[in-house]
Amino acid sequence: MGLAIDVVKRSGRRPPESFDRDKLLRSIRAACLSVRAPEGEAESAANNVVGAVIIWLDNKSTVTSDDLRRLAGEHLEKYHPDAAYLYQHHRIIM
Amino acid sequence: MNSFDTVTSFAIILLAAAIHASFQLSVSVLTLLSGHALGRKSARSRLLKLVYGFIAGAAVITVLLLSTFAFVLLSASADALLTLWTLVCGAAIAVGIAVWLFYYRERRGTTLWIPRSFADFLASRSKHSKNTAEAFGLGMTSVFAEIVFVFVPLVITALVLTELPYDLQLVGILAYSLVSIAPLLFVGLRIANGHKLSHIQKWRETNKHFLQFAAGSGLLVLGMYVYVERVMNVVLVQLGGA
Repeated sequence: MGLAIDVVKRSGRRPPESFDRDKLLRSIRAACLSVRAPEGEAESAANNVVGAVIIWLDNKSTVTSDDLRRLAGEHLEKYHPDAAYLYQHHRIIM
Repeated sequence: MNSFDTVTSFAIILLAAAIHASFQLSVSVLTLLSGHALGRKSARSRLLKLVYGFIAGAAVITVLLLSTFAFVLLSASADALLTLWTLVCGAAIAVGIAVWLFYYRERRGTTLWIPRSFADFLASRSKHSKNTAEAFGLGMTSVFAEIVFVFVPLVITALVLTELPYDLQLVGILAYSLVSIAPLLFVGLRIANGHKLSHIQKWRETNKHFLQFAAGSGLLVLGMYVYVERVMNVVLVQLGGA
């Protein structure tokens, strides 16, 4: 499902793309599963985080992918700190 | 040219292998590979195949690189070997200082010195590696990608190997390879036993400066020891005989 919000990619080289709720949901669920959270817990945490992000997106027309990741990471910390750590550090592991 | 005795030779091989083991690119790639596999809800057997395929790839390329270097050096003359010992000692000291200064980027996490485009490529491959063959190839690539740093311990080991009897050369190659992949085996076992990747990554981040210091210092110590023992001794003996 896409809201009418442009997401500016990190490097700035790729064109902006529309906000994709499912893509964000999948990435958060994957972070939870990668720290061996049960599937139901991962699903529930991902839904809660995406809900909070969508509220934050209200009245915005453009956001950066870094902002989305930072905000989602902050909310995920409330539900699953280990998953939030990996989610926030994913791009700085290597 | 005098040779090291067997015990000294193996001590040098094991120190070189420990230095190789302290470089972190392969561990980073393995962490990402496992994270993606777990995030896809891969079955445990699939996860283990990927992890051990990756480790096998890293081990095989290490054996191949070491064997190739040793094979080439077997046919080198004594003068050429002395020159190579001198060069590799200088390289060990230079790379050791470079590791101290540049190995990790100045930011959070365990971001390494490698160009970002290359890191992005490896990260993308770790995400898309879904079978054992791809993981095997990724393991080989991750060792090769750090060749700028690991060539020093590899070449020093190859030089030492050329002075050993044939049967001990094989033992030396196996010992080096086993020690150099020990961190990968350790991480692989932790993942197989159900440990969380976040704990492994937190440990790596907490201890990254220690690993950086250990790798750089190890190279300096190895380079200086080998220089004194292998280059200065030989030169002094030659001067004394002249």
